[in-house]
Amino acid sequence: MPKIKKKRVGFVLDMTPLVDIAFLLLTFFMFTAKFKSQAENEQKFTIKRPQASADTSKLPDQNLVLVKVAIDSVTNDTAYYYNISDEAAKAKVVAALPEIPAEQRDKALIKTADLILLEKLVKQSRVANIKMRFAVDGDKRISFKWYQDLMNVFQKSNATVFNFVTEKRG
Amino acid sequence: MTPLVDIAFLLLTFFMLSTNLNTPQVMEMAIPPENTNIDVKESELMMLFVRDDGKIFYKLGNEAYTAIEMKDIRKFAVEQNIRVKNRLITGLKIGTGAKYELVIKMLDELNLAEVDITAKLREEAIKRERRFALNPMTDKEKEELRNL
Repeated sequence: MPKIKKKRVGFVLDMTPLVDIAFLLLTFFMFTAKFKSQAENEQKFTIKRPQASADTSKLPDQNLVLVKVAIDSVTNDTAYYYNISDEAAKAKVVAALPEIPAEQRDKALIKTADLILLEKLVKQSRVANIKMRFAVDGDKRISFKWYQDLMNVFQKSNATVFNFVTEKRG
Repeated sequence: MTPLVDIAFLLLTFFMLSTNLNTPQVMEMAIPPENTNIDVKESELMMLFVRDDGKIFYKLGNEAYTAIEMKDIRKFAVEQNIRVKNRLITGLKIGTGAKYELVIKMLDELNLAEVDITAKLREEAIKRERRFALNPMTDKEKEELRNL
């Protein structure tokens, strides 16, 4: 004989704590969300970063020059993409260098394969802000030649300490 | 209250999924300023070569080139450094055609070896001073490595 189920009439579950937690998490994720920067918006490539073992050092947010070495997904050519995080310094660098092509001047990422221009960019960035730090964000599929040239540029500009951007392995 | 909760959860899932969890990390690199020449004793020099096709070789001082696997690099670097007690200079030479991925892997292995070396030298009360250089391969070395 089947058990007779008692009908639970007017059963109410208090949802308030659940909603509290949900909103707490929601606000947390909303505040920690990082939105795409202009540079990321402009870029027509994806960088496959090389993997390295875990390191606690993170990429600084301020006074940073990020040199991306990447393959354009449309035209398939390799180039350097020069990005200065600090707006004021970027304006100074662009003003000091008339040789930057007109169509590149307003962009957050200055695309170049010209080592002479790259060296001028690095030097001017250091002039604009001496605390400027340099990081190389490169695609792992690109040959070492590109990085060797870039390191020569850093060496000539006296920017002898820089960072390689990597991804945590595992 | 149900519609409010619905929307709240919808937004919560959106922000949770769109959050980027693997933020990039960095590996610090220091290169010597221009025009620095350091005299090196050959007996205190360990050279590591990465050929364009990704094969790795090592050379101690004046000895011949010997092939080595990526997985053995760390152990080898530790052994050699302990052998000459802190005076070893590590030179990493990369062929221009080698992939960047491999370069970072090598640097990573050497960084990991550094931890062991520092620990082992501390047991012998020696303070570790790292001497390391990353250089392009010379034409002569390229030629010598081609037929190995």
